[in-house]
Amino acid sequence: MMIEALIAVALIGALVTFMAPNRIAGKLAFAISLVPAALSIWMFTAFDGSGNALLDGTLAFESHLEWIQLGEYSISWFVGVDGISLPLVVLTTILTSLAIMSSWTPIDDRESQFYGLILFIEANLIGVFTALDFFLWFIFWEAVLIPMYLLIGIWGGPRRKYAAIKFFVYTNVASLVMFGAFIALIFGLGDGVTSFALPEIANAMLNGGPEGLFGLEGTTLASVVFIAMFLGFAVKVPVVPFHTWLPDAHVQAPTPASVLLAGVLLKMGTYALLRFNFTMFPDQVEAYAVPIAAIAVISVIYGAMLALAQTDLKRIVAYSSVSSMGYVILGLVAYTQFGVGGATFQMVSHGLISGLMFMAVGVIYNATHTRLVTDMSGMADRMPVAVGILVAGAFGYMGLPLMSGFAAEYFIFFGAFGADFPYAPLFTSLAMFGIVIVAGYLLFALQRAVFGPYELETDYEVSRAPLHDIAPMFVLLGLIIALGVAPDLIFQMITDAVDPILSGGDL
Amino acid sequence: MEGAFSYAPAIAAFPLAAFVVALTFGKWMPRKGAIAGIAATAGSLLFSLWMLAAVASGEVYHETLYEWTAGEAAGEVGDGIEFTFGILIDPLSALMLVIVSLVAFLVHIFSLGYMNAEGETGLPRYYAGLGLFTFSMLAFVYADNLLMAFMFFELVGLCSYLLIGFWFRTRSAPSAAKKAFLVTRFGDYFFLIGVVAIAATFGTVAFAGDDSFVAAAETAIADGDTLFGFDAQTWVTITGLLVLGGVLGKSAQFPFHTWLPDAMEGPTTVSALIHAATMVAAGVYLVARMFGYYALSPTALAIIAFVGGFTALFAATMGVVKDDIKQVLAYSTISQYGYMMLGLGVGGYVAGVFHLMNHAFFKALLFLGAGAVIILMHHEQDMWKMGGLKEKAPVTYYTFLAGALALAGIIPFSGFWSKDEILYDALIVGLNEPVIMAAYAMGLVAVFFTGFYTFRMVFLTFHGEPRSEAAEDPHPVGWAVKVPLLTLGVLALVAGVANLAPVAKILGVDIVFLEHWLDGEYGAVEGLTYSAYGELLAYETGVIGSEQLTILVAAGLSLLLAFSGAGLAWKLYNVPEPVAHKERLGSARRTIENNYYQDEYQVWLARGFTLPLSRAADRFDQTVIDGSVNGISTASLFGSSWVKRLQTGIVTNYAALIVAGFIALLVFLGVYGGWF
Repeated sequence: MMIEALIAVALIGALVTFMAPNRIAGKLAFAISLVPAALSIWMFTAFDGSGNALLDGTLAFESHLEWIQLGEYSISWFVGVDGISLPLVVLTTILTSLAIMSSWTPIDDRESQFYGLILFIEANLIGVFTALDFFLWFIFWEAVLIPMYLLIGIWGGPRRKYAAIKFFVYTNVASLVMFGAFIALIFGLGDGVTSFALPEIANAMLNGGPEGLFGLEGTTLASVVFIAMFLGFAVKVPVVPFHTWLPDAHVQAPTPASVLLAGVLLKMGTYALLRFNFTMFPDQVEAYAVPIAAIAVISVIYGAMLALAQTDLKRIVAYSSVSSMGYVILGLVAYTQFGVGGATFQMVSHGLISGLMFMAVGVIYNATHTRLVTDMSGMADRMPVAVGILVAGAFGYMGLPLMSGFAAEYFIFFGAFGADFPYAPLFTSLAMFGIVIVAGYLLFALQRAVFGPYELETDYEVSRAPLHDIAPMFVLLGLIIALGVAPDLIFQMITDAVDPILSGGDL
Repeated sequence: MEGAFSYAPAIAAFPLAAFVVALTFGKWMPRKGAIAGIAATAGSLLFSLWMLAAVASGEVYHETLYEWTAGEAAGEVGDGIEFTFGILIDPLSALMLVIVSLVAFLVHIFSLGYMNAEGETGLPRYYAGLGLFTFSMLAFVYADNLLMAFMFFELVGLCSYLLIGFWFRTRSAPSAAKKAFLVTRFGDYFFLIGVVAIAATFGTVAFAGDDSFVAAAETAIADGDTLFGFDAQTWVTITGLLVLGGVLGKSAQFPFHTWLPDAMEGPTTVSALIHAATMVAAGVYLVARMFGYYALSPTALAIIAFVGGFTALFAATMGVVKDDIKQVLAYSTISQYGYMMLGLGVGGYVAGVFHLMNHAFFKALLFLGAGAVIILMHHEQDMWKMGGLKEKAPVTYYTFLAGALALAGIIPFSGFWSKDEILYDALIVGLNEPVIMAAYAMGLVAVFFTGFYTFRMVFLTFHGEPRSEAAEDPHPVGWAVKVPLLTLGVLALVAGVANLAPVAKILGVDIVFLEHWLDGEYGAVEGLTYSAYGELLAYETGVIGSEQLTILVAAGLSLLLAFSGAGLAWKLYNVPEPVAHKERLGSARRTIENNYYQDEYQVWLARGFTLPLSRAADRFDQTVIDGSVNGISTASLFGSSWVKRLQTGIVTNYAALIVAGFIALLVFLGVYGGWF
């Protein structure tokens, strides 16, 4: 019942915060959020699962209750974690707590609603990473959108309505495509499947696959569903060319929403790709490896090139997320232990590093009320600690060894270089050029904004950031270095869950 | 001595601790963290000497200390692979540990006089940077595998970024720091592909032992394997050259040398550390560390030799027109590392390492000497404003002169012996290999330029009449400046004794200690010795007449050229009121003064090509990609705006529609339901 406890605390906490007075809402929400954080860390230490959740693995903290009978299909409350999902759950709970603390300074309007929505998102995110019934999973998946839509639309910047609607409609349309495709697949699987439980569906897919539907052959149906679901998740990740909602959403979103958006929401897309496309469709992965690898390389390079053209610090970090997510796709399509494991590792690592970067940019924004690198110079002079952390985060983003980003990228590169798909070494080498461009745009931004003589175009008096702005960043930096020095804190757990995928369920 | 090695991790751990202490408590400490750094590097030096003694007594150390991660190797091997942190202490790394910790220690002491005494702010950050720098380099030096080496190689790059950009309130320092990191990162891109490729090919990244990638490559070549679609020999060359990308970047070899002169924006003490013992030395050291791998590929070696010879000459010619004392030294560094590459590329492993050692001492000496000059001159670096410092600062002058004589390669100073050995090794190989001969010729011509720019610098700085008020009334320097200078001055004079190869061969006495050392006559790891490399090398050597004659010809030629260069500088600049004489260069002047437009094209690549390309991509993204997304939404909004006209909001309209609908429904049901 641990997972239920996590979700329930966050949900009830959200309600309580909604009704709390504005002035205590921030502290209250933070205190509440510590409960799921502590519980999930305990789950992490007590984790006793093995194998993959969908492929006959031993689930940890499993609970399975029949819920609704829908015609021939049963829907159940079915949750549990394996080595892939648990690190993401811990990432979610920790990042939520830190994001709440980082909101204390910038959020000064309708606080109780703001913090309530953050906790509501947390509950749904935990649901997404733990649900093992498609229907249940989809409810959480969709429910994440609503609070994020409100966070951007109410507390966002000048173009918040445009950004919020774009985010909502774009990802929602994508979800519809994915949903339709998956339902078609379930019908196509015929009598072999009697519930929406993902392990059952995965099993059916790996033992024979769909029989066919609407006059389509089984294999054709599988390919169509694979592509449709890939497109559906691609928007969420996002991969080029479905990425344009992301910079708009990030630039308009308040800092804590950006932290969660980049830190966790993007991982929903890659997590779903791994759980659905890359677990259930090994034949299609093999067949479409080259185009997917090409998309990955384009996302990495093109995303990085876009980041290079920006002058808004938040846009830079936003586009760099597109680039980083490209690495995840490359790792997935490599279909090797280090590739897929590294992709999962990168999900966690990028969550921490991008969270740190958005917080650091946010702290500078709180002080200067601008994010344009052209409007400021020499901020290191006035905010040495915050800038020090920003520099550390930037090097983390560049993949500096002994920080988690390097471990993630190295795993992916190593896993992809020796992969089986055609021209794997070439694709990998091309994607690796991202490590040069990322250094280019981040160092260029640092040079202009935080170094040089102190100048500021706005009329604000810059002072040092308060401790509650700095503390969450130190926590993230500590985690980033810990995972960089000792990736096996989570990597062995991840590969244990990845191995059954690569062997097609036989272990 | 077995027990000595269990303390090996401390060598790197001391400066790491100093980094943490200086960063967190430096503000409140006396001397702002300097004491922690001095204590830590002193500890590293003592422990390194202990390791050296242990190796001298016949022991070596190769131990895996920590498993970073492990998993299944993909690719050619498909077995398990482990990525670990381990320590390899053999003659090469033991020697390098001593060099690095000694130079770092002296730089820390010198900093007391250079940074603390000058009232700098941000000193805790400075000493923290030095500590992290020393830590990264020492860990790199005794890394026992390629991935660990890469990781600390990158950290060395970070530290140089932080220290070059130490004076971040200026415009130029952050720019130089960025350039240093970016150019070397470009090299490291290839290096990382090399690491990944080697790991994916051989399933191991270990430098030493039976399961090293070097041994695996040797076996693959012997078995005639096909690796990644290439025959094994070609693949070893490709991967070796990829790794070499990182070497060229860090060691500032052509065409990645452009960052180094800019890096003079950092404090002079940092330059001393970067040039002598850390950043730049890391590249060449890596070639020496995995020399067995390069020895398998004659093509890779020839490229190393040629790039080295070319860089030696290319950089030396640029050094002759510089006016800033630190700029002259910067180009001399590029040139000298070119010699080391040339030495290694022709199979002269001992010669290359020998020059690495000697250069560490005399270049640290010259930079610290330049630092002393800058203190004397009240922070003036333009040599044309100096002059006449000889009498006023004798300690600085004579130690600087010792360094200059070593740099110019004048017998019997240390630089002569190692440079001569490199040129000799290049010559005997070059007699059979035209490419190597060309590399040798470039290295030889560079000797002339080296002699010239070195003594031009000495004469302009110290001789003649003072040419500014500062030079007439220099600021005194303290013991913290003099002690490191004297220590290094002695080393610049005598370090050559380590390997008097030409004397040994001509007189037939056994005085090639370094060769014995690197050949594992004390302790050594199997396969990592000079003779083991010699067996892998495919080079044929020749002689002119006899071996003795060849030695004399080689040494005579390089001495002659060094003396002519120095002599020309004497004639032109050792006068009371020297002038530039740059017009004598004629049409070449502009090209050389602009550094052969190397900076221009690289800056153009960044600013003139990549940046506009990224802006074009951004416009494409905003208009075409995002435009289609918004276009679809506009289309649907437009469609719905027609549909919504049904919703007039007038109740009577709705009532009429409801009635009409009801009637239509009735008619429909009536017709199909059979009511009529």
